[in-house]
Amino acid sequence: MKRILSSVTDGKGFDIGLVLLPLAFLFIMSGLPLVYNVVMSLQEVDMFSLGSFSRPFVGLKNYVDLFSQPETRPILLNTALFVSASIAGQFVIGFGLALFFWMNFPGASWLRGLFLVSWVMPGLVVGAIWNWILSGDFGVLNFLLREMGVTDGNIFWRSDPNYSLWAVIIANIWLGTSFNMILLSVGLSGIPKDLFEAAELDGANAFQRFWTITLPMMRSTIGAIIALGLIFTLQQFDLFAAITSGGPNNASNVTQYWAWDLSFRQYDFAKGATISVIMIVFVMLASVVYVRSTRHEVRG
Amino acid sequence: MGISRYAMLGAFALVSLSLPAFSASAEDVTISVWSLDRDIQPAPNLINDFNKLNSGIKVEYRQIQFDDVVSEAMRAYSTGQAPDIIAVDNPEHALFSSRGAFLDLTDMISKSSVVKPENYFPGPLASVTWDGKLYGIPKATNTIALYYNKDMFKAKGLDPNKPPQTWDELVEAARELTDPAANVYGLAFSAKANEEGTFQFLPWAQMAGGGYDSINSEGAVKALDIWKTIIGEKLASPDSLTRGQWDSTGTFNSGNAAMAISGPWELDRMIKEAKFDWGVTLLPVPEISAERSSAMGDFNWAIFASTEHPQEAFKVLEYFVSQDNRMFKDFGQLPARSDIAIPPTGEPLKDAALKVFLEQLKYAKPRGPHPEWPKISKAIQDAIQAALTGQMTSREALDQAAAKIKAVLG
Repeated sequence: MKRILSSVTDGKGFDIGLVLLPLAFLFIMSGLPLVYNVVMSLQEVDMFSLGSFSRPFVGLKNYVDLFSQPETRPILLNTALFVSASIAGQFVIGFGLALFFWMNFPGASWLRGLFLVSWVMPGLVVGAIWNWILSGDFGVLNFLLREMGVTDGNIFWRSDPNYSLWAVIIANIWLGTSFNMILLSVGLSGIPKDLFEAAELDGANAFQRFWTITLPMMRSTIGAIIALGLIFTLQQFDLFAAITSGGPNNASNVTQYWAWDLSFRQYDFAKGATISVIMIVFVMLASVVYVRSTRHEVRG
Repeated sequence: MGISRYAMLGAFALVSLSLPAFSASAEDVTISVWSLDRDIQPAPNLINDFNKLNSGIKVEYRQIQFDDVVSEAMRAYSTGQAPDIIAVDNPEHALFSSRGAFLDLTDMISKSSVVKPENYFPGPLASVTWDGKLYGIPKATNTIALYYNKDMFKAKGLDPNKPPQTWDELVEAARELTDPAANVYGLAFSAKANEEGTFQFLPWAQMAGGGYDSINSEGAVKALDIWKTIIGEKLASPDSLTRGQWDSTGTFNSGNAAMAISGPWELDRMIKEAKFDWGVTLLPVPEISAERSSAMGDFNWAIFASTEHPQEAFKVLEYFVSQDNRMFKDFGQLPARSDIAIPPTGEPLKDAALKVFLEQLKYAKPRGPHPEWPKISKAIQDAIQAALTGQMTSREALDQAAAKIKAVLG
């Protein structure tokens, strides 16, 4: 008895307690809802059976139904395009800005801080502002493009099926770039300066230094950022709600918005849950990449 | 020792059980009401007035947001926490009444001296009816008609006292009025992929003999073709596909559209913002002799089947109904009744518009009623968007919608 007690206050028992507490918290706050979501995707759920657990079990019918719907494939492709284009845009521009501010000119850190303003703004506000910028008849973006001679007519960013997904991607790149930049700046400042000095003495030019020192040294940071970016873009809902509502004709619809639409607009909770389960798989993959790329930080 | 403790516990439990029962009988009956009305809208004001009457019934009010009405009500009902009275949007009424979540009011209404079904417009009344029984009382109603800018009509040589009456005239007028150089579109309406799109399109289909259960009929296809012409020739902004009615009519108010299809909820803003002479006319029909039709909006009152005080709750509804004659004057809403003469407001534009809307209301049809309305509506929205973006012909899009709707209707 005494041994157990002393082990709890100071020993193996204490360690186990430390692990169990957050695990229990995680299980209650994330694990249970996740499991519940999977269960719901295997049931037939409507508004009236939402409050009870005993619902007709339909096996994989929801999945089969979902994949036989004509809009499923385009929406999945849209999601892939949205995620890859957003991450690519955010990362490239963010990296460029991070390198720019790394040069440490007067006021660099101050300016870098200001860039975070876009990250602090709520998605719905960003969406409302881009809604105006992208507006077809009176939008600022169309005005600029026209005055610069890039286009002759107005582009209906929100209502033209060829452009509507790109309208949301542009807004999302703007929203996420500063976050990428800050994380990459932190990564850059962690590279020892003497490495560059040594390489410079050996006659490596700027491009070689970037390719052989900066990039390899940043590998874990980049992995983490891309994994986080995947999670953040898969979460991006506000911009769709504010700019295109997934339209026209699902041209800018993505899984996360579709799940909400099915659950809370058409009250088909089982299908909404089914889409969420499919998304969980992708987020899990991203999480594995994230955990693996940040693992050495914990050990160090 | 053990026994007396149990006895004590038992006595305590008894007392605590009976206490609320005693106190309740000494106090008023409490009726809870949920609706989306804000402080300047009917529900909270009527409830304040009702509570001042000290009738032995105390009403408690809770405001819910438009988007949350159905989900909040469902959650409350399935966990046994439902209010006594709720206001729901009319296309969603059947969802509740078909499942027995709302109380059948037919008997109480037949005995009532205040609520008389024959006083109501047929559309709103149909929306509270399920299986021949009345499951609610229309709270207010609205519909859509055609607003037009009289100054622009004059400038383009059109007669401002002869607004378009048929679809062809509407398209013709829109062609005349569209002026890209001046940033003016002929028409503003909403084909948005939400309930607003269905709300605006269904009347067109109905006027041509279609309906939600025959959405691919000849007439409905023609209606969608007209919409395609309007969007295709840029007689209306392509952004009509993603813009709601409120924003679309905003472009009419600012002089960027010569005509607009919307409802009476625009009147107050239009009087304030529109710096030109405007009028309202009935929604154009396919041809002169065709059947008129229009959309029907707004909410209904209903009593949840789980209420403990159905009689008292109905008394509260009777009070609301008895105040219907204040609806337009005090709150700017139209009562869903044909027996109430709305007094003039003293604002000539508003009074003229009101006359048109009251006429249009006679032809207003409810959406449904059907318990799975959101799915039917979604099929119609998808068809509108697929056709207007040019991805399908009107015929293909509506055939697809008809197939989806048939699956829902069974």
